[in-house]
Amino acid sequence: MSDPVPVLDRDAAEPPPAGPPAPAERRPGRWEVLLTPLAAHQAAVVRIGVALAWGGFLLREWPHRRVLYGDLSPWSSDLSRQLLADTHAFTVLGRSSDRWWFELVYHLAILASAALLLGWRTRASSVLFAVTAVSLQNRNILVGDGGDNVVHLMAIYLALTRCGLVWSLDARRRARRSPAGPAAGEQPGEVRAVLDALASMLHNCAMLVIAVQVVLIYSTAGWYKIQGSRWQDGTAVYYPLHLGYFSPWPALSGLLGAGLLTTVALSYGTVVAQVAFPFTLANRRLKNVLLALMMAEHAAIAVTLGLPFFSLAMIAADAVFLPTGALRRLERWAVGLLGLLGLAGPAGPAGPAGLVERPAEGSRPESG
Amino acid sequence: MRVWSVPARVVLSVAALGLAAGTALFLAALFLHVAPENAVSRRYRAEVDAVVYPEFEQNWKLFAPNPLQQNVMVDARVQTIAGDGRITTRDWTGLTAQDFAAVRHNPAPSHVDQNLLRRAWDFYDATHPQQDGAVAGPRAKLAEEYLKRIALQRIGRTAGGERILQIQFRVGARTVAPPPWSPEQVSTDPDYRELPWWPVNEDDYRGLA
Repeated sequence: MSDPVPVLDRDAAEPPPAGPPAPAERRPGRWEVLLTPLAAHQAAVVRIGVALAWGGFLLREWPHRRVLYGDLSPWSSDLSRQLLADTHAFTVLGRSSDRWWFELVYHLAILASAALLLGWRTRASSVLFAVTAVSLQNRNILVGDGGDNVVHLMAIYLALTRCGLVWSLDARRRARRSPAGPAAGEQPGEVRAVLDALASMLHNCAMLVIAVQVVLIYSTAGWYKIQGSRWQDGTAVYYPLHLGYFSPWPALSGLLGAGLLTTVALSYGTVVAQVAFPFTLANRRLKNVLLALMMAEHAAIAVTLGLPFFSLAMIAADAVFLPTGALRRLERWAVGLLGLLGLAGPAGPAGPAGLVERPAEGSRPESG
Repeated sequence: MRVWSVPARVVLSVAALGLAAGTALFLAALFLHVAPENAVSRRYRAEVDAVVYPEFEQNWKLFAPNPLQQNVMVDARVQTIAGDGRITTRDWTGLTAQDFAAVRHNPAPSHVDQNLLRRAWDFYDATHPQQDGAVAGPRAKLAEEYLKRIALQRIGRTAGGERILQIQFRVGARTVAPPPWSPEQVSTDPDYRELPWWPVNEDDYRGLA
């Protein structure tokens, strides 16, 4: 349990840095890898996905914000306070029902989403993101769905990770400060190094929690479905497609639910994939196939059931299991695309503008 | 890797043990919370609840064990009083039907249309057990007030130019017709249940603007 590597992708640890090692370096002990942040790319992709899902949601709901969480809500601040006194859920919107305070929090939440998306002052923005997201949701917990639940949990977990090590403005700033890369710099003082290692250990635990959380989501969803008569007789997928709340495109829903074979295959496939997913983690290739399938299913759900933000949040959470190799390929494509568009700055040793810089000092675990 | 001094090793080891134990306990609590009720989760219910509620609540039984197979239609109607004291009962308004219309052909339906009334009704239903002798919990009043305010926000302060005196809800479960190839026969007629009339006063409108 204290070793998160097997749960996350096996190649999640960074490869050793290029270039000559600093003179003071020695081979790390077996456990010392845990003192450095693992799965930096996975943390970044979850960060970006969750920020996109919640930030996009906040923008989409901007015209309705006061009805959902503010002064115009049917769930009045009086009702909210009575429930909160019982549940003790955290919200900064509990005491004051002033409109200006609500508007401030809502717009801070949008800014925090943007900052987290870009990885700008990631440590601070991830905390602000968690505080504002949890506050808004707890102001009216009764308007949320599964997507809000995922964002709620991931917001808290992300605040405990070092999710800005790569793919962030922070990484670019660090790269500009020491253009030769971290390997060339002298070692930081020991107090600094201990704090750094503590933050990394916390990060590793939080990444493990995110991974286990995703496994729990699929296990629960899958194992409870097995007990359902509609999943057993293979018609389950048909029904949500015919609920008024979840059929924005009735013609499409009708088409999808019309075929006997497709309906049964989709119903059985969903259950098999959800139940099997945790066990496929032992086999990289199988895990990746299933991960792609489940991301595709969520993308389909986004459209057919009218749940784009739920689906995006689920895909963001799934992304914790993406292989580092694939994320690095994505990185190269993105950098190439930016270069083509002429958007990238001067190319340094770390690539254009250092956007894809390696994690900073003390964050280069070697897969021992 | 650097060579750590003895104090640094102590600090790091203690922190590692603490974090590992904390993470293990947290994940164990999450597992017991989502697992079916069992001997262990019964024994440690208080501890598990203390970890999970209120911020780490989980409900992943998405469409499980069975997907919802009914469209639960919530309607509301009001009684108004005229200047001369005459009382009129107005027609039913299909609140859920309004939601369905708003969701239709919308690539990103708002929570206002997709979740607000749907989950308010679920909340009401959960806090108002229908078995004989069952007593509504402390949250029942909150659910009633919430439902009433949702309807009043849509209907407004007056109907037909007259002041609203009271409001009534009815809920009908319309079973989704089985797939065309299915041999099942089900009645898709809604089965309506009427709630009592609830008085409406100025307080109910507070903040609804």
